[in-house]
Amino acid sequence: MELAIEIKQLTKVYDGKVNALDGVDLAVKAAGIFALLGPNGSGKTTLMRVLTTQFRPTSGTARAFGYDVVADDANVRKIIGYVPQEMSVWTDITGFENLLIYAKIYGVPSSIRKKNIEDALQSMGIEDVAGKTVKKYSGGMIRRLEIACALLVKPRIIFLDEPTLGLDPSARKAVWENLISFKSEYGTTVFFNTHYMDEADLYSDEVAIINKGKIVKSGTASELKRSLHSEIISMSLAKGKACPLFSSFDADAGAALERRQFRIMEKVKALHWVEDAFLHDGQLELAVEDGEVALPGIMDALRDEDIFVERIKIKKPTLDDVFLKYAGMRPNERDDHRQKAA
Amino acid sequence: MALNDSLREMFAMIELEMRRLKHDRTEIYTRAVQPILWLAVYGTVMSHVRDIPTNGIPYIDYITPGVLLQSTIFVSVFYGLTIVWERETGILKRLLVAPASRYATVIGRAIASGVRAVVQALIIFPVAILLGVKFISNPFYIIAAFMMLFMISGGFAALSILVASLMKTRERFMGIGQAMIMPLFFASNALYPIELMPPFLQSIAFVNPLTYAVDAVRGLMISGEVASIGEDFLAVIIFDIVIFVIASISFRRIIE
Repeated sequence: MELAIEIKQLTKVYDGKVNALDGVDLAVKAAGIFALLGPNGSGKTTLMRVLTTQFRPTSGTARAFGYDVVADDANVRKIIGYVPQEMSVWTDITGFENLLIYAKIYGVPSSIRKKNIEDALQSMGIEDVAGKTVKKYSGGMIRRLEIACALLVKPRIIFLDEPTLGLDPSARKAVWENLISFKSEYGTTVFFNTHYMDEADLYSDEVAIINKGKIVKSGTASELKRSLHSEIISMSLAKGKACPLFSSFDADAGAALERRQFRIMEKVKALHWVEDAFLHDGQLELAVEDGEVALPGIMDALRDEDIFVERIKIKKPTLDDVFLKYAGMRPNERDDHRQKAA
Repeated sequence: MALNDSLREMFAMIELEMRRLKHDRTEIYTRAVQPILWLAVYGTVMSHVRDIPTNGIPYIDYITPGVLLQSTIFVSVFYGLTIVWERETGILKRLLVAPASRYATVIGRAIASGVRAVVQALIIFPVAILLGVKFISNPFYIIAAFMMLFMISGGFAALSILVASLMKTRERFMGIGQAMIMPLFFASNALYPIELMPPFLQSIAFVNPLTYAVDAVRGLMISGEVASIGEDFLAVIIFDIVIFVIASISFRRIIE
């Protein structure tokens, strides 16, 4: 598998004291969509600016398709496209003129310039407004124009820093749909930073979470979610007299019922896929790694005990839960946690 | 190859400036108001004061080169504001990620500003003729004068980019820009001969590149005395080279 980006032990120290990046190791596969998630100040923008040759790292190496971002920075600049978080087009000229100027800066030969510009406009769906000055554009159109400027030279990697920040849902969707169709046509690697978990979940092939200048977790979105081992199955049990967990028709009510509940719960907890189980208010809650795999076995076990289930709900963890777990804690909380674990 | 890339970027920057001018010419016109007032009001009034030794040249003619240069240099000295704005947005980051040298970016922008300044002067030039200023009729002299306008404006634009890369915010930049422009103008031979100045001011005028530019433009456009033209051009070329180099080196710091 070809790697688009390979980062080893990368650090960046600002003014000799702030460790913006503190030993980043990361590999990004070519021709995929990669999302870098992290809270504010976690180092994600710094990492992108090192990768796009704006900053030199303090130590460590980073390569883009084999080119070192420090030693071969000129070659790196030839194969990347970059859209910063802030607006990056000239507003007092037209969209077409913005593309024309970028085409000239990048040295797109005049024979194919017009075609490339038209392709870029079309792939971002803004060909209708190309002749208007950018001042008249909406936020979503500006963003698509910026991406069009970056796609103009058909880069091998495109870096997007918070590409849909401040856009409404339909504009976000338009940006992504256009980007994905371009990507599938040209095999461009997409590397983006975001706060929007749903976006990372929907559009990315791989995700990494950065916190305090370190990559704390990486993998596909579903791997990350599974790694929480925390799907919750909630079952509403049928409260008929026959149910051994609730029935109190015989005289031994209190003590015997408790014993029976205890025994059944122990049996459920002992099931292979079940990590924990609770019973309250007629609800049986089970923590499992993968609900779809665990459910049949659980159902069999309950049926053996003559327990019937009226309704089942599986709550899967979202990428938000993953993010909160790996990046949401303050460092001191994390230390406390570690001490407890030890 | 690298030179090619750089030239390409420079031309792209000039084209950008021209396209911006095409879309919005208001600035060019409003900026022409002040120099026209200098000529029409200040020049007319002061021409009645016969104490300023202008070698027999009418006073309004005498100050025309200075006023032309002042208006073009105004454009250049505040060109850095564009850079500050581009820094606040993401444009500069993006330009620095493009495959072109930082020198090309700085020099391209400075030249672009020089072109804008020449367009500015071209607006004022016919107004001066209407006000009765008598220009030398040799077209080569006039072209050479505009060449000087272009060169000095480019140099001051590079100086402005240098200031922008150090100041980084609009407010601080405006402060410095205002503080620069008036001393530049008054500590030069734009409005009066250097010999009238106190010795301290004379020494400032001596190192002020504007003095050489005014001398050359006055010689070429008005008086026809072109003996010191060589020195004037040399002084301005040295100024341009030094300031281009310093501004290019400093430019790297702007996005950090």
